[in-house]
Amino acid sequence: MEMMNELLEKYFRGETSLEDEKELKQYFLTGNVSPDLETYRILFGVFDQELTEKAISPLIKVLPKQRKNKRIWLQSFFTTGIAATIVIVLWVQLPPSSLNYTIIGGTRIDNTEFAQRYAAKKLSKVNNIIARTMSPLKSLNKVREDIEPLKNISDIKLRMDDKQN
Amino acid sequence: MESTQFNTQILNHSDKLYRLAKSILRNEIAAQDAVQELIMKLWEKRSILDGVENIQAFTMRSMRNLCLDTIRQQQDEDEIPVEFEYVEPNPYQQTEQKDIASKIRTMINQLPELQRTIIRMRDVEEMDIAEIAFITSISENAVSVNLSRARQKIREQILKEQKRVEETVWK
Repeated sequence: MEMMNELLEKYFRGETSLEDEKELKQYFLTGNVSPDLETYRILFGVFDQELTEKAISPLIKVLPKQRKNKRIWLQSFFTTGIAATIVIVLWVQLPPSSLNYTIIGGTRIDNTEFAQRYAAKKLSKVNNIIARTMSPLKSLNKVREDIEPLKNISDIKLRMDDKQN
Repeated sequence: MESTQFNTQILNHSDKLYRLAKSILRNEIAAQDAVQELIMKLWEKRSILDGVENIQAFTMRSMRNLCLDTIRQQQDEDEIPVEFEYVEPNPYQQTEQKDIASKIRTMINQLPELQRTIIRMRDVEEMDIAEIAFITSISENAVSVNLSRARQKIREQILKEQKRVEETVWK
């Protein structure tokens, strides 16, 4: 008791080591504390209770978010790949450059710049269509992730039935 | 830094970061936001974390600096500064806080930022003086002085409170 009083005085002067403080905490949280020191038991109890405080809501999932970004990156890579393939195919199918003209919708076009702009416009349209077609798939993945926990319901029900029987 | 390392060395200590942020900002939601912001920033700059010797202390130091920046920013914007947000409990709150544990928590929250951060890092998180000195960017001696002042203030207030309760009982 005398020793604890001395240690407590040292504690308030800020002269105790971590080991001394652990001893004090152990005494106040588990031992038979004298009524004179009851308030200090509460003080150490407050510290002990604060240690159990946790972040309220689940923290942002940084890593899964990055994975999602990676998925988007893969999607754009895929889309760009398709667009590039179309460009190559069209390029190969264009009449030899020596002819200096192309046929669009049955009309002969001699203006190279116009032909290139027309092709770029069409490719951008194809690119948009692909992107739009891919977007519902993102929602589908989200739904699949969300219903994942529901798969366990039948197991839980079976276990509850077993317990009741 | 790999994602698994980031997970074990930073994300697993998010509760500790939250407790520090809450102690400085004295606001649960602001603390939560601060932790999320810090984790995002650290994830974006994770490549530089490989060169850090004590990741935990570095993260705690960054958390404190971010919280202090938040307080400074609010002061600049003429908002009610978080640091001075605390007000004496009204009679209704006093009735609510009649248990001594709540009063002790209030007493700790009334301490200046540096003192309440130090007392919590030592008495709640059980950190050594050198680590606290690194996190708070002050000398080890200054940490000991502030720790002692914080504990003595709490003791004085506890004794004052005990006296007040005794007087009320005998009236």
